[in-house]
Amino acid sequence: MSTVAPTLTSAWRRDWSKHVFILFFILIELFPLYMMFQVSFKDNATFIRQPWLPTNPLTWHWENWGFAFHLILPYIANTVFVAVTGTVASLFLAILGAYFFARHRLPCSGILWAAFLALMLMPGVVNITPLFMLLKSLKLLNTLWALVLVGVASGQVFSIFVLRNFIEDLPRDLFEAAEMDGASHLQQVFNVVIPMSGPIIGTLAILSFLSMWNDFLLPLIVLRDQDLFTLGVGLIYLDGEYVKQWGQIMAAYFVASIPLIIVFLFTMRLFVRGLSAGAIKG
Amino acid sequence: MAAPLSRQKLLREWKLYFFILPSLAMVLVFAYYPATSAIYHSFFEWAGGDTKQLIGFDNFRRAFHDQVLIDSFFTVSVLIVFNLFKMIPSILLAVLIHRLKSDRWQYLYRVLLVVPMIVPGLVTLFIWKFFFDPNLGVLNGLLDFTGLKSALVWLDHLFGWGVFYANVPIGWLSQPELILPSLFLWGFPWIGAVGVLIFLAGLQSIGQEVYEAAEIDGVGPIGKFLYIELPLILTQVRLSLVLLIVATLGGYGLQLQLLNEYGGPGGRGMVPGLWMYNRAFYAGEFGYACAIGMILFAFILALTFVNNRYVRIEK
Repeated sequence: MSTVAPTLTSAWRRDWSKHVFILFFILIELFPLYMMFQVSFKDNATFIRQPWLPTNPLTWHWENWGFAFHLILPYIANTVFVAVTGTVASLFLAILGAYFFARHRLPCSGILWAAFLALMLMPGVVNITPLFMLLKSLKLLNTLWALVLVGVASGQVFSIFVLRNFIEDLPRDLFEAAEMDGASHLQQVFNVVIPMSGPIIGTLAILSFLSMWNDFLLPLIVLRDQDLFTLGVGLIYLDGEYVKQWGQIMAAYFVASIPLIIVFLFTMRLFVRGLSAGAIKG
Repeated sequence: MAAPLSRQKLLREWKLYFFILPSLAMVLVFAYYPATSAIYHSFFEWAGGDTKQLIGFDNFRRAFHDQVLIDSFFTVSVLIVFNLFKMIPSILLAVLIHRLKSDRWQYLYRVLLVVPMIVPGLVTLFIWKFFFDPNLGVLNGLLDFTGLKSALVWLDHLFGWGVFYANVPIGWLSQPELILPSLFLWGFPWIGAVGVLIFLAGLQSIGQEVYEAAEIDGVGPIGKFLYIELPLILTQVRLSLVLLIVATLGGYGLQLQLLNEYGGPGGRGMVPGLWMYNRAFYAGEFGYACAIGMILFAFILALTFVNNRYVRIEK
């Protein structure tokens, strides 16, 4: 670590062409974010006059952001409810399920395992028609619980698959010691499994949260009342407006991204590591 | 692997079944039941209400003569080819990042790659829709600014496409001929953050000494890619290939939001999933939609088997 500065510069000299390429890619990748940010402070007239560069901060149209907060905050609240409840419930059930498969081979567990694995082959999208009818007959249409329940169910297979392998690799002695002390299975889950599998649970939580946060196909057919709209439906609704105030729309897009920006700032390492690790397992 | 239990222990451990029960119930109700229901209802004429009529294989017969559905399978094949091509930048970027000598920069770039993911997927989609806007959009602005527009008009003149005209803004999403090109352009430069991170994770297993040995043997940068890097990430490449094909084949969210429920002007962006969605929720033909879902499922299943048979993924 003592030679950090010289290695940095020599590495830079050797790799500058690679840096140029990478930066080129990443800048284009970040360009939509830049446009979103700078357009959010303009009204349509300013935007048509000067689409590319940010305007003087003194003439920024902050009322776009006021409009956006007013419009988007209820959607965010609904989405947070769905994504957080769904993620917590999904992971809790998945941990219990994985524990069942990992700890003992009980009769029928092979068949049950096959029943879970078979779902990996089944693409969720082709089920959307009967799923809609099912939710209708369960009187769950136009409720947020429908989104939570479907989210929990669709996350089970992948999470159980990953967690089972992980729990099986935990040292046997830990469970035996816990059993000696008279711990029940539930206590073993809470005192052995959960403390030992922090990173993997974090990874799965992020993946599950992201998928529920980004979903819009199911909310689109389930939700009718504007009070219940999640971000997905809310944004589609905004996109459908006839006369578009791009500044307001971009501000709304930005506000919609704020929760994940906050999550990202606090869990950056977990995020980066989680996405690469989780993706390999998939 | 957990060992099978003796009868005596089983009597003590039976409570463990309660652990799998909630997951199992969720999966049975929200995954297995809809799937069974889809198979069942694909043989009915059913508008979603209480009345339905058994019509045997009529839905399937109709599907095989449904020109929209047949065309949609062609469209989705084209989209799959597009998406395969779009994997290349992610692989190249991963290799470039991996070859950097400095770990700090590698980490910084990985973080920068993940940054666009904080924007909800739908927002990215709508921003692209905004880029494609004929009058205010960034794409037309860029083409005018760089003079590429006149090149396109010239090419149009040369080949007689009848698509690009000098004084008319290009309607990327409103001209039938431009729908597929727009779907190709979408997401430029096609860097999938998750994809790059997967490939990077695969590349990490290459030791420094392998590169040193290659350098002594005089292997150039392209040689290194072909003989060292590509073979090592082949597993990941295949895996994302499979996931990508399955996702493209079944997906329709992009087409629904970027175009509309009819796949845009002339239905050029219609894909099988979108047609299923359209039939169910716009035409109320739930039985027919279930049948389309079944056909789509058969395709995906067949692809999965082909993949398991011929494309081995070593864990």
